Amino acid sequence: MTRRLTRLALLLALGACSEQATAPGVCPEYCPGGQIAVVDTIFTDMIERDSAFSGYLEASQGRALAVADVPGMVDSRAIFRLNGAVPPRVTNRPAPDTTTVPITVDSARLDLNIIRRDTATKNLWIKVYRMPLDLDSTTTFGQLVPAFTDSIVDSVNVSMLLAGPKIYDTVTLRIWGDTIRTDSAGHVLQVSRVDSSLILHFDFDTTQARYVAADSGTIAYGVRVSADTLASIGLGSSEVDRSANVKWFYTYPDTSAAPVQGTAQRAATFDSFVFTPPPAPADSNLAVGGAPAARSLLRVAIPPILRDSADVVRATLILVPVGPVPGAVGDSFTVIAQPVNTDLGAKSPLSLNTTFYGFKTIHLNVADTVRMELTDLIRAWALDTTATTALMLLQSAEASTYTQIRFYSTRTPAFRPTLHVTYVRRYAFGTP
Amino acid sequence: MTRASLVLAVLAVLAVAAPPPVRAQDSQFGIRGLGTPGRWESVRARSTGGAFAPFDPFSPLLEASIADVRRVTAGVTGGTSWRTVDFGSQSGSLRASRFPAFVIAGPISRRLTVAGGFSTYLDKSFGITTRDTIDIRGNPEPVTDEVTSDGAVTDLRIALAARVHTNLALGFALHGLTGSTRVTAVRRFDDSTTYRTSNARDEIAYHGLGGSASALFDLNADLRLAAWARSDTHLRADIRGRTVTDDDLPFSFGGGVRWRPGTEAVVAGAVAWRYWAGAGINAHDTFNWSIGTELGSLSSPFRFGVRGGQVAFGPGPKAPTEFGISAGLAKQFSGGRGRLDFGLERLERKGGTGVTERVWTFLLGLTVRP
Repeated sequence: MTRRLTRLALLLALGACSEQATAPGVCPEYCPGGQIAVVDTIFTDMIERDSAFSGYLEASQGRALAVADVPGMVDSRAIFRLNGAVPPRVTNRPAPDTTTVPITVDSARLDLNIIRRDTATKNLWIKVYRMPLDLDSTTTFGQLVPAFTDSIVDSVNVSMLLAGPKIYDTVTLRIWGDTIRTDSAGHVLQVSRVDSSLILHFDFDTTQARYVAADSGTIAYGVRVSADTLASIGLGSSEVDRSANVKWFYTYPDTSAAPVQGTAQRAATFDSFVFTPPPAPADSNLAVGGAPAARSLLRVAIPPILRDSADVVRATLILVPVGPVPGAVGDSFTVIAQPVNTDLGAKSPLSLNTTFYGFKTIHLNVADTVRMELTDLIRAWALDTTATTALMLLQSAEASTYTQIRFYSTRTPAFRPTLHVTYVRRYAFGTP
Repeated sequence: MTRASLVLAVLAVLAVAAPPPVRAQDSQFGIRGLGTPGRWESVRARSTGGAFAPFDPFSPLLEASIADVRRVTAGVTGGTSWRTVDFGSQSGSLRASRFPAFVIAGPISRRLTVAGGFSTYLDKSFGITTRDTIDIRGNPEPVTDEVTSDGAVTDLRIALAARVHTNLALGFALHGLTGSTRVTAVRRFDDSTTYRTSNARDEIAYHGLGGSASALFDLNADLRLAAWARSDTHLRADIRGRTVTDDDLPFSFGGGVRWRPGTEAVVAGAVAWRYWAGAGINAHDTFNWSIGTELGSLSSPFRFGVRGGQVAFGPGPKAPTEFGISAGLAKQFSGGRGRLDFGLERLERKGGTGVTERVWTFLLGLTVRP
């Protein structure tokens, strides 16, 4: 009997080791007296100070080269200089002959990476122009107008190429390694295997790609686009290893055999884009983006009520644009709000904790108020009184487009940046 | 009982007791009040509906009864309850394990006995979830709220009892009320990508004092009367050193009678009044009664009892009512040095707003006299 009772006790004891203490509440009769109260407030003075800075990245340092032609709004053109270093003479063959013989360039192939395009664009033409070799970061749109007027080298209708049939046979596979599309002029288009970017190949003869021995083969080109609609693309730049490159094809004599064929592939040593109209000079508003890239620093004062007696459940940064950003219809760019580790003004180091970033896609030609969710960031600031409560607005990717947005600053009280915060008041524990 | 069985039995009691700290049977009726008052009863007393509590030295109700403890003895009570709450439109099932009482007592002289221990004064453990749709930024947002409280107010008692006459024993006790609850209030939004979960948590500390006196009087060898009175002062609730509430605690009194009609039969009855009405909102004065019996030999008795009365907290002008029946048995071992008590209680509480609470409680107690 005792043993049975002991076993029963053990069995029940083991069964009792879990709890279920939560039941549906029937309020207010059978609920605690406290209420979980949500408050929704627009804090007009949480952004207490702000500043705009420019010159973070030049157009030649961007991850893409913006090419667009929107009449009356913007004309942006890519420019790049391709490395020379193709020696005009090579060592005579067979070895050990130490004399040199000249090379004879017979053609070249120019490759362009189109990393951004609007798939709705119709009749998209890409035109290649010969540029002077002295391109650098100070080169302006106006300086290159003559070259873009009378030095066209080649042009290709990308829309037509895309509409054409895919070619995939043993010869194609041996030369190109994958499916190609081509036209009667010999342009070849490939779709990248790793993403949806396009790789465009131009075959140039010696008049289109002039090998000048004195320059060791250095050449420079510019690119424009035109289309029936939405003429805007992005070309890959050297910053992301997707710059334009040229492959020279040449021959040189062999005293004991037929001429030898050779190739030399060279990437861009400089690439950038120029556009008109140029960015407006800095004013009292908050500029973000463009080239050179502009950033705006917002300093936030967390009100005591958010620190002491509330739990932020949603926080939205509200920015009023000064006007729409002009550009190709359908184009867009992203503005990022990135907290700073410490407030050093223009040189404030940015936090790398992406959890706290805010993102907003800006559509061109639209002047809607910008609302950016910053819930996690404001929650973190409300809890950490030692944190630097400032954030930088910047464009992603910087200096890769001509587009720059301007927001009203705290100096315009009617449209100043504000924070729309939804928070839960501290629960009144202890009161029945 | 072998030593191994004894160890297993002790472990079983501890297992029942271990999960939460000192707490008693809780109730939805106590959520909108100070809590659920604990039962100052051992398993033996509880199995008799509470009728034996005034006469049982291991029920922390009455001090005079410990005057009969002539060797150091300790008793512990544990229990597991399965509770269903029926609100009419919805219902819930709950389960909890509790460790509501511990008493250790022993003589310090031929006439004086001292005792100490703890019991649950107010259970403050509960959890509720509610669904609602609120309007934020012009849009309806469904939310789920969860408010939980985990803890209790414990009655730490030190008692002194004296047999001042062959027929009369008196007892006095000081009560320190202390304890804490961990409380949380969580709001979850269905749209969790836009709205983050709000999570508030805190710890509330409780403090209070009380005193009690009691007497046992034997009319003859078979009939014993008991009377007790207790006054508690205030219950102060502090959050991080700041007092948030200060509630009056009740004056209570009661009595009982025990009759031994035969060598293997004992019958008892008890009544108690508690003036809770001044203890904040939804508080009511209560009257409770109980009748119970213990049959059989001292080494393995069978117990049965019924209880009824009112619940101290509940919405509405009238106090909720409760009625319960209970039964149990016990087994002595090691030549009477230890005793295991088992009990089963069925309780039903009804509130004025159509709420019915039904509770099954399995009780397990251990008394050890080294």
